[in-house]
Amino acid sequence: MDWEGEQVTASKIGRLEDISRYVKNGSSVAIGGAWTCNHPMAAVREIIRQGIRDLTVYTIVGSIDIDLLLAAGAVKKLVFSFVSLEAFGLAPNFRRAVEKKLIEVQEVSGLALITGFEAAGRNVPFLPYGGPSGSDYLKVSPEIYKTVTCPFTGQETIAVPAIRPDVAIIHAARADELGNVQFDGTSGSDWDLAKAAKKVIVTVEEIVSGDVVRQNPDKTKIPRFYVDMVIHAPMGAHPTSSVPAYVADGLHMLEYARAAAKPETVAEYIQEYVMGGEDAYLEKVGGREKAEKLKRLAEKVVLL
Amino acid sequence: MYATDYKISELMAVCIAREIEDGDTVILGSFTPLAYAAYMLAKVTHAPNMMYVAYSAVDARPFQMSFFTSEAAATRGAAALWSMTECINSIHVKGKGDVEAVSGAQVDRFGDINISVIGPYDKPIVRLPGGAGAAEVIKMHKKMIGYFPNHTKQTFVEKVDFVTGTRYLYSPEERKAAGLQPGPIRFITNLCVMSLERRGDPFMVESLHPGVTLEMVQENTSFPVVASPNIRETEPPTREQVELLRTKIDPYGTMEFDFRSGKERLAYLEELLRREYENA
Repeated sequence: MDWEGEQVTASKIGRLEDISRYVKNGSSVAIGGAWTCNHPMAAVREIIRQGIRDLTVYTIVGSIDIDLLLAAGAVKKLVFSFVSLEAFGLAPNFRRAVEKKLIEVQEVSGLALITGFEAAGRNVPFLPYGGPSGSDYLKVSPEIYKTVTCPFTGQETIAVPAIRPDVAIIHAARADELGNVQFDGTSGSDWDLAKAAKKVIVTVEEIVSGDVVRQNPDKTKIPRFYVDMVIHAPMGAHPTSSVPAYVADGLHMLEYARAAAKPETVAEYIQEYVMGGEDAYLEKVGGREKAEKLKRLAEKVVLL
Repeated sequence: MYATDYKISELMAVCIAREIEDGDTVILGSFTPLAYAAYMLAKVTHAPNMMYVAYSAVDARPFQMSFFTSEAAATRGAAALWSMTECINSIHVKGKGDVEAVSGAQVDRFGDINISVIGPYDKPIVRLPGGAGAAEVIKMHKKMIGYFPNHTKQTFVEKVDFVTGTRYLYSPEERKAAGLQPGPIRFITNLCVMSLERRGDPFMVESLHPGVTLEMVQENTSFPVVASPNIRETEPPTREQVELLRTKIDPYGTMEFDFRSGKERLAYLEELLRREYENA
């Protein structure tokens, strides 16, 4: 029998437009990346272009990805531990959505979210952990934090439930068409999101052959049996980073921060940058010249 | 030899750096220039054996401050590249973290920190970012180091509007019994260095920055502070420390960013970004 036959070449390659196969109105979606690093921005823009709404969004350390989804009105409920544009300021649409009660929110500590994803990944209903005792998280999210007693020692500890989103959306360096996904740099808790979610969409800088993946198997952090769709999206994390390929585009982050300040100007931003598609987006933010500069900045670090 | 000409940002960076002992494990979260610069300074001066974890880069090499390239620099100089989950489970929860300086919008007389909301939780006046790992950092790391470039009554409040992070267990006995490392709780501000021993004890002013009086600290703090029996003037930076900060660690002046507010802050950031971008 020819084992290299059809059964191992079931391609998972999709196009950005295909994300609606899994991300539908009302879906729960965990968005990968952390800080200003490696957020699946091309997919976020696609969700907005398709007008997908009423999402429950999970973010551990969210940035422009979450602010933009909120600006577009795509979110019904946000489960988060942190959303900020960091140096570029508080996330204006996150502020507006929470302060004006436009969405439902659940605030939890970062480790509670991570532990919840880990529990789902291990197929257990909950996991205990040395949680944020004494903090007000316990008061505002009692459905996430319970106390359990260790059946072996009698020690009391905090437990969080398994968190099992419908879809995880992740950005990575490369994958083969079967869905073996490699990371080169900052990956947040993306590997755990992939194990927790029912469906996994990965956008990648490049699609390579299985032989290329096998040259560096240690970089494959999400093997194919977790992955449902691989989408080629070069510069797909922009304006966040995909180090070591390119750094976050601070100048565009700044432009976004200024546009995001008011509902009218962020609506103009979405119209100008998001609605025209990814090719138009990359051209508008500076094209090849900008891409090369961001790549050069990633190489041009000064170690002391 | 002490420097005679230095900025408050440089003094605060040196104060934070002094909290780091050689061999400490130091964690860097999001890019906060003042704390980052302090860690780099410690690493290239008195704490060469310090191991730091930046983003998810483990035992990274010290690097020059930059809004564009800090993540790339940490990644490039790393001995290991972990995920955020591996970092938190292996360092924070395991009790292997020594220092991760934290800041926030409010701190109260218990040393509790608020990074969540100003105003009532259900009707916030300002929705802040949220804590990310702050709750675990403050409770679990050996030392709790808070830094506040704006020591005012609005920052040092009687009771925080939301407890995002708390030391929770303070005394060495309580901490050891709970499997947590005992260590100091210290606050470094633009006016002074203060410490806290136990929940409910008053903040103790350990040193006043040159030109600052105890009265000035009290006037800018919403709860009572007391002078340490050994109160002194904060030791100034050395010439070498200032020179290193200005020429090697932070030639672009990213640290100053933490000392600007509002519109001025974004304008300053834009200027730095444009300079870095044009140099690339």
